[in-house]
Amino acid sequence: MSYLDSPRLHFIGWFQADVSTINNDVRFYQNSSFVPEYQQLDQNGSWNPEGTGVFRILDCSVTGGYLKGRQLVSAGDDPVIGMTLQNAADRAPGKLVDLDPQQQMVSEIWGMQVRLVDANAKTMLQGEYSPAAFTNLWQRQQTGVRLDQQLAACYQSVLEGVSWPDTSGSALLEALRAASEGDKLSIEFNAYGYGRDSTIPRYTMGHIAGTIGPHKHGEPKHFTVGRQMIANAPNFTQPGGGVENFQARLSDDGQSITADFGNTFPIHDANSGLMDIGEVFLAVMTTNPATPLTTVDSTQIQMIGEVPYLATDWYRQTAGVQTFDLTKNSAASQLLAANPLVLLSPAAAADTYKVLIQESIEGYYVRADSFVYRLDPGETRTVDFHASQFGLPLGNTTINFSSTEGFMGGSGGGKRISPPARPNAAIPSIGTPADGVTWPGTIQTDQNGFASLTLTASTSGPGRVRGYIAGQLYGVAYQLAAQPAGYLGNPMNYVSVLAYSRKEIPDHPTWYRDIQHLFTQYGNLYPIMGRYVVDLRNYNSVVTRLSILKLAFSLPRHDANHMPVTRDLGASDRAIILKWLDSEGQDGLPLLGTPADLPAEADVMVPDAHAAASLADLLPSQGAGKTAVLLQLEKRGLTAPTSDGVEK
Amino acid sequence: MIKLDRSIIRGIRAAQTGADLHVYLRDAVKLEHSTIPPYLTAMFSLKPGVNQCIADQIRSIVIQEMLHMTIASNILIAIGGHPEINTKGFVPDYPGPLPMNIGEGLIVGIEAFSIPLVEKVFMAIEEPENPVHVDPPSMLAAEAHTEPEYATIGQFYDAIAEQIRKLGPSIFVNTTAPPQVVSPLWFSPDRLFPITDPASACRAIEIIKIEGEGTSTEPFQRPGDAAHYYKFGEIAEGRRVVKTPDGYAYDGPPVLFDPAGVWPLKPNCKISDFAEGTQARTRIESFAWSYSNLLNALHDAFNGRPERLETAIGLMYDLRVQAVALMQTDIGGDRGQTAGPSFEYVDTQGGMS
Repeated sequence: MSYLDSPRLHFIGWFQADVSTINNDVRFYQNSSFVPEYQQLDQNGSWNPEGTGVFRILDCSVTGGYLKGRQLVSAGDDPVIGMTLQNAADRAPGKLVDLDPQQQMVSEIWGMQVRLVDANAKTMLQGEYSPAAFTNLWQRQQTGVRLDQQLAACYQSVLEGVSWPDTSGSALLEALRAASEGDKLSIEFNAYGYGRDSTIPRYTMGHIAGTIGPHKHGEPKHFTVGRQMIANAPNFTQPGGGVENFQARLSDDGQSITADFGNTFPIHDANSGLMDIGEVFLAVMTTNPATPLTTVDSTQIQMIGEVPYLATDWYRQTAGVQTFDLTKNSAASQLLAANPLVLLSPAAAADTYKVLIQESIEGYYVRADSFVYRLDPGETRTVDFHASQFGLPLGNTTINFSSTEGFMGGSGGGKRISPPARPNAAIPSIGTPADGVTWPGTIQTDQNGFASLTLTASTSGPGRVRGYIAGQLYGVAYQLAAQPAGYLGNPMNYVSVLAYSRKEIPDHPTWYRDIQHLFTQYGNLYPIMGRYVVDLRNYNSVVTRLSILKLAFSLPRHDANHMPVTRDLGASDRAIILKWLDSEGQDGLPLLGTPADLPAEADVMVPDAHAAASLADLLPSQGAGKTAVLLQLEKRGLTAPTSDGVEK
Repeated sequence: MIKLDRSIIRGIRAAQTGADLHVYLRDAVKLEHSTIPPYLTAMFSLKPGVNQCIADQIRSIVIQEMLHMTIASNILIAIGGHPEINTKGFVPDYPGPLPMNIGEGLIVGIEAFSIPLVEKVFMAIEEPENPVHVDPPSMLAAEAHTEPEYATIGQFYDAIAEQIRKLGPSIFVNTTAPPQVVSPLWFSPDRLFPITDPASACRAIEIIKIEGEGTSTEPFQRPGDAAHYYKFGEIAEGRRVVKTPDGYAYDGPPVLFDPAGVWPLKPNCKISDFAEGTQARTRIESFAWSYSNLLNALHDAFNGRPERLETAIGLMYDLRVQAVALMQTDIGGDRGQTAGPSFEYVDTQGGMS
């Protein structure tokens, strides 16, 4: 089960992502060339240099629900409608965090609590949002004001440790509680219409629309085993059919199918609501074609239903999740067992339809549940995989693995940085040394379609291959061995790994030798801290705030106030910092050492010439970060996803 | 002279049981808290890089007010009470009187830093019963202060201490931390310790008094470190207080103030002052939400979960950072003012629609 099941509730509102933007360009990690100008607003496409990293929801309320085959739209239907969705009321909100400046396409939410609150501020249910990265990034928004983030995406995760202080009076909440297992709920939301212009009210704000439903043991947290619709998209942010990837699920009894169109349809501008793209129908093919189709005629399909996306309040009341009744459509029920779903719009010729998007070829699909990992030297982690065919577990099948750069690498910024970096900051290659993180070439699913991949970081770590920035990125591509030629994969389906560098922990760490370069980097990249709380670049400032630094560097990674907010500090660097903060010299303060001990900044061992050559000029309307990443990928020859689902 | 209704003192003296004292200690917790929003706002309004010395002075006072709030809470817990921090009524409706109508007519607001604010409001809040006379910079002594007609905050605490001594050790029922809050990382054990008996309670009360008012004979809370009243005096006079052959004078090193280094906040901003869907509205709501979360975390800390103090401290830093965006938000109009913080207790996250 998941949010695509019953019962479920739908919410809509706003989110704030107050991300910091200086770290959108890897070259600003080089301390030796960093100048204060890089901290100015809109310099080098840095549209929010004083960002805090906060991710939170606001003005968010439950606007619909679904229970026992019935859509709920008002408090009269169920008192849960109209309640608000909020974050924790007794601690900091969550944080939105890139894995790395060279991997900005898997931004994760950390440390967020979600609560359902009634009109008297009473908490009805609450849970911890399991950290999750977005997927299905696409240019949903067609026009925008200056710097608008026209890309949209969706997040799927679970709420963990869910408690239900009070469900009384709400049949939907009672049913949701009864349908869930292991104190977990499934939660999915779509983020769009995000503003990056510092002069508009929407600055750092965007729309959010989502759904909460049941979750059961053994199910993936970050996608739903079901029917996966994969766009044919030569440029992955611009799907060929004009609609984005989505997932659907046939109910266990086969009597209904529920699809999530929450991130499927385009919008004109940030606040416009859904664009009219004409009539849209969900249908199932009467055959199982081996290739993506562009048109079908009415003899090739069995209609399931029209998607009422233009109906008044439809998106608001459903967040785009639509259930289609199949009780009177046994033909469709039977066809669904072995034939793909298609989303159609009428074509010019009679009885023909344009295929906007089609289910994965042969219904094959494999996905890593979590796909973002951070590994310390010598650490191993397992990645859960679920394989399916037409929504049913695909047992005893092989999954193949290989290296990929995915959408990683590059600078994240424009061709020119102003003022130019002196000395030059080379753009590091990623994925080197190749043995920094290893994994087996294949694994086999069990009868439930489940398999685990073990990632192993080398005990020595990747070294300082990226010079001025610690750690190294690795990408793991995966595909089913059974996947046919011409298979279209979701290009965002690969595993991203940040391997932390190893460092010896000295007996007596000193400011100059062990701390200054680390703290200077954070001070440069996150000036909100240095300007108003503690100037991390300055020993005299740092020693006035030892207690709070000890606390923040000691907090676990899932804590919203974990420092650094970017969660990019390896265990050995953290241990050195904590040891230093606890040390006492003759003056009772942590050891200063001498400037002569300051280590020279390491050179980038393998500069990425291809990435450097792919840098594009940023227009005034283009921000550093995801926009720049896409420009670079385009210049590097981003083409149709290959059969393994990953761009080369 | 700050005034306090004598009936409060009489009420304290009439207390027959520990429970009879709860209401006064709750008021003490409220009072210690009530000074933090105005002080914090003044400190936040100082732009970084200028007025650093003043910001540090106020910060040291704010931290001590937090200590005093913790001490008052611990005494309340020790004698069987429960601090109630997470309610709308806990926070004064600024601008307005402080709890117990202290200062009779003293109106405290949420304003940007200014010398008159320090002189007329902050020094009034902290004024001792008999201030030690400190000469203005390089001037001879002015006329002597007159005797007080009303009770002061110091006398309020004296009365509580006296009554605790009178009621004796039997009123101490929760003598450990937890449930009391003791945190060596933030406050040294000689200043924050478990309240176990009349002696420790009185010692803790003395800390509140001395850090706020100094002693009856000198303006320092410890050598070289002025008590709050005199620390504000240093800011107002522009020089540190030092010992002179004749007593004390604001003749020490300068405490420089650059009026250009202050955000021009509109005083006493409230959430409802700003239209939904504006930057000012979302930012002031965000600030109030974090502040309310801070009170909720503190409430937990003082009601059995002392580890939540660290969460509260984390939220203090969040407030600091949120104030930055708020105070840079132009609110329109021809006065060039920016938005200021609101310390309203709220239970929703909103501002856009």
